[in-house]
Amino acid sequence: MGFESSALVAAFLASIVEVVEAFTIVLVVGTLRGWRPAAAGTVAALSVLAMIVVIFGPLLNQVPLTTLQVVIGIMLLIFGLGWLRKAILRSAGVIALHDEDLIFAKEKAGLISASKSGQSSQDWIAGLAAFKAVLLEGLEVVFIVIAVGSGRGLLWPAALGALGACVAVLCIGAIVHKPLSRVPENTMKFAVGVMLSAFGVFWTGEGLGIAWPGADLMLVVFGMLFFSTGFATAQYLRNFESNAAKGARQ
Amino acid sequence: MTLIRDVLAELLSMFLADARMTVAILLLVAGVAALLKFTMLSPAGIGGFFLVGCLAIVVEATVRETRNRKS
Repeated sequence: MGFESSALVAAFLASIVEVVEAFTIVLVVGTLRGWRPAAAGTVAALSVLAMIVVIFGPLLNQVPLTTLQVVIGIMLLIFGLGWLRKAILRSAGVIALHDEDLIFAKEKAGLISASKSGQSSQDWIAGLAAFKAVLLEGLEVVFIVIAVGSGRGLLWPAALGALGACVAVLCIGAIVHKPLSRVPENTMKFAVGVMLSAFGVFWTGEGLGIAWPGADLMLVVFGMLFFSTGFATAQYLRNFESNAAKGARQ
Repeated sequence: MTLIRDVLAELLSMFLADARMTVAILLLVAGVAALLKFTMLSPAGIGGFFLVGCLAIVVEATVRETRNRKS
């Protein structure tokens, strides 16, 4: 798998995770207060995100490539290892899995209690909830697209991956019309954590002056090592958890 | 103001969900940069050390979190 397809897949999977989360809240707003405030909030947030990309995107071209690789590489490492850490802990049962149905119910209750005034302010609160959800989740998507794409001029494949994720979630969401709780969120998070960490090690190293043996192929090796280490750690922690539970029962 | 606070909190949580892990990553990168600049060790070997360091950091962070939640 080349750099372009790796960037596209990483951005696609990461964006799916974030877009599903934003979609749940937009769906709450849409079903509870109608699609007008939901669409208004979503469009406003997407406009803010587009502005961020338009402002910061060209600035990255001014930064020397090696500096950019180190800075972006470190950010990818912090972000990627953070996702991998969370995915391992969820996979081992140490922390709870992400539950879109639960989030849907919570957001619905929150929105009902928040909008106890007139019709127009209820729409305003609902629109703001959609705006906030899309903006906050979208920030991570924007970061991932910029981080994965800028190290080697791969902004277009990464942006295409993110756009594909948005379209896929919107299409599926429009058909099923309920929270996408069956999306294997943690498996995707695991895969994204592995890919971002691999990119992070590769670019930080390259930016610092390490000529990786095998060049781009090392990205695959790094991915396999992060995956097997993460998988083995999750297995170890799962056993640790079940032993602790047995010990508590005795 | 709440929105700005939430955006800042989101940005912060993206990079500081586990502050100790973030510091460990930064220290590792600084160490690797220093090894490359001030020693004659092979860059590929230093790269291997960097990779193993990253793997060790994620294992340590998950084991530490599990133990913290159990104690």
